[in-house]
Parts: sequence; structure tokens; C-alpha cells
Amino acid sequence: MYSKEELLLAISTVIDPEVGFNLVEMGLIYDASCDDEGNVKVTMTLSTKACPMHQMIVQWVRESVEKMANIKSVDVEVVWEPAWNITMADENVKKALGA
Amino acid sequence: MFSISQDFAPPFKLISPFFILGGVFYLLASIYIFFFTADNLFVQDTKVLSFVHLYLLGFVMMVIFGAMAQLVPVVLEVGHSAVELFYAIWPLLGIGTLLMAVGFLGYPALLPYGGTVVLISMMIFVMEIFSTIKKVKKFSLVISSVLISNTFLFFGIIFGLTMALGYAGVIEVDIISLLRSHVYLVIGGYIIVTLMGLSVVLLPMFGLSHGFSMRPLEISITLMSISVVLVVISSFVQYFFIEYTAYALAVISMFIYFYMTYTIFKTRARKEIDIYVMSLFFGYISMVVAVTFGVLYLFISYEPLLLASGWLMFFGFFGFVITGHMYKIIPFLVWFERFSPLVGKQKVPMLADMLPKKSSHAQFVFGAIGVSIIALAILMQNDTMIKAGASFLVVGAFALFRNVFFMINYK
Repeated sequence: MYSKEELLLAISTVIDPEVGFNLVEMGLIYDASCDDEGNVKVTMTLSTKACPMHQMIVQWVRESVEKMANIKSVDVEVVWEPAWNITMADENVKKALGA
Repeated sequence: MFSISQDFAPPFKLISPFFILGGVFYLLASIYIFFFTADNLFVQDTKVLSFVHLYLLGFVMMVIFGAMAQLVPVVLEVGHSAVELFYAIWPLLGIGTLLMAVGFLGYPALLPYGGTVVLISMMIFVMEIFSTIKKVKKFSLVISSVLISNTFLFFGIIFGLTMALGYAGVIEVDIISLLRSHVYLVIGGYIIVTLMGLSVVLLPMFGLSHGFSMRPLEISITLMSISVVLVVISSFVQYFFIEYTAYALAVISMFIYFYMTYTIFKTRARKEIDIYVMSLFFGYISMVVAVTFGVLYLFISYEPLLLASGWLMFFGFFGFVITGHMYKIIPFLVWFERFSPLVGKQKVPMLADMLPKKSSHAQFVFGAIGVSIIALAILMQNDTMIKAGASFLVVGAFALFRNVFFMINYK
């Protein structure tokens, strides 16, 4: 129903308040897919396991997708493999952080 | 799935008093320095003991306990066993600290009362942490460090209360022997092991560091723990070799820990030098100088070296590492409480927006100059320099106090 790019565009409205970049440009969203019934599966990670905003960020990702028309369900899976590192972020993020 | 529930997060009104009181005690301890003169500065002077308790219990412990209320669920990945108990901890710790500070100043009869109140406060804290740890299924190095540090705290406060009873003349004990164990259990065993354990969570999280080895931390915590146990043994078994082996292990532990933080810093993706990073820099440099002074003291027994070492460890290392983290933790807690429900509904501030930039930098500059001047003043036994350093420190402490309120009241 929705392409990966469309889903990523919706998720890119979620901003990490600590670093000030959205989750997609941070490279935290590993995959996103949607079947014909509107069931969405997002696979993501976080920059660190001990993130006190873990649950909130997952919730924001879910809500950002639910805002799209005809979405039936959103399943957000947080994975730790492969572990995130700064090379996964967009060039503008790396440049802004000085990485 | 690894999950930190929002339900685990304690309410801000439970944690904020710890930071406010921490700021008050930091200010009081800074003002206290004006009343020191170079000739009455020696380790067992009651004025020094009063000051040390005012600072360590009122500021260092108060802020660490408050931070632990928020960090324990993050680090242990389980909710608090009885988080409401934290409502009792800060008033008891505050009252007990004042009683002890006044008691050392000339009212020794107050010491057992102050000691008991502090003991109750800390026992509540330790027991709450222990019962929370019981819920943990899989032990990591960080969780082990929380367990180890709180075990040392448990024994440290029992030694402390025994000494308080001794000072007050209630019981007869060898205070000198107990003092060494008490200091080591609380400072090396609790404060330093806690800072070691938490720093491998917090430093990489704020710096976005990856790819560093945890092995140095394992070694440094192990060495520090052995060192603390050996010091306690040496308090009862007067054997020179045990005591000096303990000191050597503590020194090696601290340098390995410093190497660990250096590797975390080297691998960080966030290169900005903000107030947090500046505070950590100053804190860790103070630590290295403090340990170096401590080692020198073992060889030349010049007491001002020991005092300067303690000063740099307390106000330089503990002080700046803690204030640096206050600039991260308080905005997060306020943001979490006040702004997170508004995400997606209206524009919310970034965490960095909630920092008083000029004032936090002023606090850093005045604090760092104050700490450095007083370290020199202690070494040179110079009264005027102590007052000069205290002047800088008090301005920095007022700025910290203001900054805490600014962040807490950010709307």
C-alpha cells in the first residue's frame, strides 16, 4: 500500500530531542514495509541500549505512521543487531556532529 | 525486547528536591571555605570533617541518590521496587547532614543523632536498590557495579555511625582505624564505583560513542573493590603491606578508569564541546592530579598534599562530573515531564534549549578557577589565596543554584 520511502517520510517527523535530528537521517530506521491491508512493520534501533526515551521514541514512530490514511496496524520492532554507529547516519548529521 | 517503560520513570516532584537541595548544600559548602585558615587545615580537624560531611552528604550523595532514582530503571532495565521511598530519603539526608555538620563544629552530642538520621536515610536507599536489583534477571557489569557499590555503602555507613558514637563519647572505639575504612568504603567503594559503573552508560549515551571495550572498566572496578576490602582489613590487622597494596591497587584502578573514559571520549561521534564535556574534562583532569598528589603524599608525607588531593578529588572530580551531569539529567527530566506529552501536537524545545548557556559557562569558569586557586592555596598554605578561591567558588555556586532553578522552571 505504502512504499518504504513513503513510510520513512512519515517517520522522519520524529525528532530525537537530545541530538535534534530525525530518526531517519540518524540511520536508526533499518526497514519499513506495508502490506496490502495496511499492516505496517518498522524495524529500528536506538543509538544506545540504555536510552531513557526508548518507549517514547517507539511510540512516536508508531504514531507518525498511524497518521497515514488507511493504516490498520503498526508493529515497531527494536533490534540491536546490527548495532547502530555514526556511519549509518546521513552526511549532514555526521557533519553537524563533527564525526 | 529491551524496554524502559515510562511507568518506571519516577515523577519529577520526587527527584527535583534532590537536585535543589544538592545545589543548596554545594553553595553552603562553598561559603564555608571562607572560614578556613591555612594553619587549621589538617585532615582530622573538626572544621574539615564538618565541611567534608556537608559537601559529600549534602551535595555529592544528595545528587547521586536523586540521579539514581531516575537512572536505576534505565541501568537495571526494571522498575523501582518502591520508588515512593525516595520521598523519605531527601528530608532525612538533609536533616542528618546538617546535624552532623553542626555536630563536628562543636556540638558532638548531635553526631549520633545526625549519624542515625543519615544512616536511616541511606539504609532506605540501599534497601530499595537491593530489592530492585532482586528483580533483575540478567546481570551485566553495570548492574554488578551498582550491587558492589551499594554493598560498600551499607558497611561504610555502619562504620560511620560507629565513629559518630565514638566522637560523642557514647562508646569507646579506635576512631583512627575506623576512619580509614569509613572513608574508603564510602568514597572508593560507593562514590567512585558508582561513578565508574554509571559513566559507561552515560558517557557513551551522551557522546554517541561506540566500539570501545568494557574490559578496562571490569579491571578498574575489580581493583577498586579489592583495594577497599584490603583497606578495611588493614584497619583491623595492622600490617603495612596490606595497606600499601590497597593504595597501589586504588591508584592503578583510577588510572585504568581514566584510560577507559579516554577511549569512550576518543570514539564519540558528537564532537561538540558543550558545558557537559567541559565539566567532564575538568573533572577527569582534577582526578588525575588528585591521584598523583595522593601518590606523592605516600612518599613524602607532606600533609597539604593529602589535603589538596582530597580537595581536587571532591570539588574537582566529584563536583564537576556531577554538575556536568546535572546539566543533562535535569533538562531531560523536565522535558520528559512537561514536554513529552506535547510531542506531535505542538513545537517542543530540544534538550539543549533548556540550558542557561551563559550562566552555565559562568558557573564552570568561576568554579574551575576557584577549585584551582584553592588547590594551590592548600599546597602553599596561603590564607589569602583560600579566600580568593572561595570568592570564585561562591560565585560559581550561586550560578549553579540559579541554573538548577532555571532548568526546573523552564516552560
